[in-house]
Amino acid sequence: MSDQLDSFLDDYFAEAEEHLAVIRRALLILEQSIGRPRPDAANLEELFRSFHSLKGIAGMVDHRETETLAHELESYLRAIREGDTAINTAGMDALIKGAGTLEASIAARRANAPAVDTAAIAAELRGFAAATPSDARADAPVAIAANCSCIFTPSPALIARGINVDVVRARLREIGEIISAAPMITSQGAVAFQFAVRGTLTDEQAAAWRNDGMAFSAIAPGSAIGPTASEDSGAAAGAILSSGHYVRVDLARLDELMRMIGNLVILRSRLNDTVERSERHLPAAHYRAMQDDAEAIERELRELREGVMRVRLVPVGEIFRRMPFMVRDLARETGRSVNVVMSGHDTKIDKFLVERMMDPVLHIVRNAVSHGVESPEERQASGKPLAATLRLGASASGETVVIEIADDGRGIDAERVAARARLVGLPVPSGPLDNATLLELISAPGFSTRDKSDRVSGRGFGMNVVRETLQELGGRMQLETERGHGTRFIIELPLTLAITAAMLARVGDQVFAIPQASVREVAEIEAASIRALQGSEIVEFRGAPLPVVRLSSALGCRETPLDRFHAFVVGSGAAAVGILVDRIVGHREIVVRATSDPLIRVDAVTGATDLGDGRAVLILDVAAIARQARDRGARRGLAVVKDIA
Amino acid sequence: MVKVALAPLAMETVEAASGLEAIERLAVAPINLMVLDLNMPDMHGLEVLGFVRANQKFHNIPIIVLTTRDDAASRDAAAQAGATRYLTKPFKPEALLTEARQVLDAPVPGAR
Repeated sequence: MSDQLDSFLDDYFAEAEEHLAVIRRALLILEQSIGRPRPDAANLEELFRSFHSLKGIAGMVDHRETETLAHELESYLRAIREGDTAINTAGMDALIKGAGTLEASIAARRANAPAVDTAAIAAELRGFAAATPSDARADAPVAIAANCSCIFTPSPALIARGINVDVVRARLREIGEIISAAPMITSQGAVAFQFAVRGTLTDEQAAAWRNDGMAFSAIAPGSAIGPTASEDSGAAAGAILSSGHYVRVDLARLDELMRMIGNLVILRSRLNDTVERSERHLPAAHYRAMQDDAEAIERELRELREGVMRVRLVPVGEIFRRMPFMVRDLARETGRSVNVVMSGHDTKIDKFLVERMMDPVLHIVRNAVSHGVESPEERQASGKPLAATLRLGASASGETVVIEIADDGRGIDAERVAARARLVGLPVPSGPLDNATLLELISAPGFSTRDKSDRVSGRGFGMNVVRETLQELGGRMQLETERGHGTRFIIELPLTLAITAAMLARVGDQVFAIPQASVREVAEIEAASIRALQGSEIVEFRGAPLPVVRLSSALGCRETPLDRFHAFVVGSGAAAVGILVDRIVGHREIVVRATSDPLIRVDAVTGATDLGDGRAVLILDVAAIARQARDRGARRGLAVVKDIA
Repeated sequence: MVKVALAPLAMETVEAASGLEAIERLAVAPINLMVLDLNMPDMHGLEVLGFVRANQKFHNIPIIVLTTRDDAASRDAAAQAGATRYLTKPFKPEALLTEARQVLDAPVPGAR
């Protein structure tokens, strides 16, 4: 029973989250209509419907304060809609505050936290609703139904006149989009067809078609039309929000599917090995056939994996959509003026990553507004537009997704960063700091230039946590900043986590897997070119000194004397490090099994994988190894290599 | 083709291009036999079957499913939904005719 209740509640939270997402987006659109004669009707309708639905589901789980607040929001919107009035800033603020409180209230219930006080904002909204003239015209326009239902009852007489269900369908397509079509039995026992249409029906059409057995009625917002047969289900995907087209799936089930596919990937590579071993024992034709089949399985498997992966993908916009609200509040508090420009919000990314990236992106955006953007006076003095521009962009490239957060503010003050770093005891290289080093410093634990007045400080979330989260997710971050011109963070994330392309490298008698996404470059290094420098080693690489670290010594493996090594180059700029291995021995897709047990967790190892031949292989976090090497190097004064080379 | 195959029955045949149209035909004229494809533009054949069988009025109309799907699962699903017979395409006209004769003569058509 309690399980049932829990899963019912889970449904409530999941559905509420969907409505809140719609609400956030619709509020942004509504905000743009401030001062204009009338808000966009379709958007208003969507907003209205979302509050209405939220009210309904909150009532079902007896979540009273949410239900009441949603009701007040809905009432105010109804007043705006029926009064056909413009919306003002104060009203908009109340709506945004109301929606925020609604979200907090649901989050509190989810976390079993004390209920959020919704009474004050509910009362405020009630006041606004009462103040809005609602002189709904008595003869409301029936002619234009935003959403209507048509029931067609065929008869031999109609058929004789050439009016059949296909003619009806064609007519409905003329006025809009058929959302659903299904046969039904009327209360008189006759066969009829019910169509749900999103479109515009004129009075003339309705009157003319009524004589042809077509009965129209408006669909109340939020109500669902009975059993649906999907019409042209392949077309206009995404445009239709009719619930019949979507299934909600628990993320854990998709994880389970991904795990099974992972097992298949391993089994397949085992099969591959067996096939290869059978070559000598089989007639050529048999062997060839087996090989073909094994390859076909591999192809299908890849498609299956990509298919499941696609199901997990959601638009990055889910992260972005929260930002304008936050920026708006923060800008108002700090007396800044900031425009948010978003692009690529349809870029898809794994649902899990979206959830984990929300706070890091929020943090960078907060930083940009409270530290990066200058006051309007300061901007004017330096000849910049008064309002700063904050760009949020996302794009996909191959197996990675790139998220960029850029402002046109004052840029990061390298000297202040260096001073602060020295103050908290971080090693600071001499000479001008490049961007990569700057990023290293501001992401170091213990570094924080927060002023106590910042909202940010309350969160206990610094760049250090941003970096850690990214590392955990197998992502990377780059910084570009220029004094007086702005700052840009570039975050690269893998599309998904479970299966990744990796290189296999041998060190001594051991093989390790290195995820390809974490490697910038692969190089061959002559043993003779390695120079020792104050306990560290460097090589000349692309005209610059590159600190190198031998994986054998980093991991304490047996070292093999070699003439040449393969090196993975990790990181960029002054933060670049070369990691030396004996040889790169292969390249393949691996299934990542994370090591989460704290007893066996090591910084340099992210997990393990099964190569399919029964060998378990550790997956290395080369970025962590490089970082450790840099830290060690920095303590020894490795930073002076720049001057020497 | 179906029309040609069934011509020897000397019955009137009407055609429907979609699932909804098929149901409409059933509703407006007395129908003795339905030959149903599973792949249709708007409704799945099984949905049509389900709708038809769910109504007392059409309960006894024999329905021959004629489809390219030749697997046990499709057969089972069709039988469950109330198909009287199941024939796969490509089909021999005589085979369809034989099936049609049988189900029309059968005292209690409808396999439910």
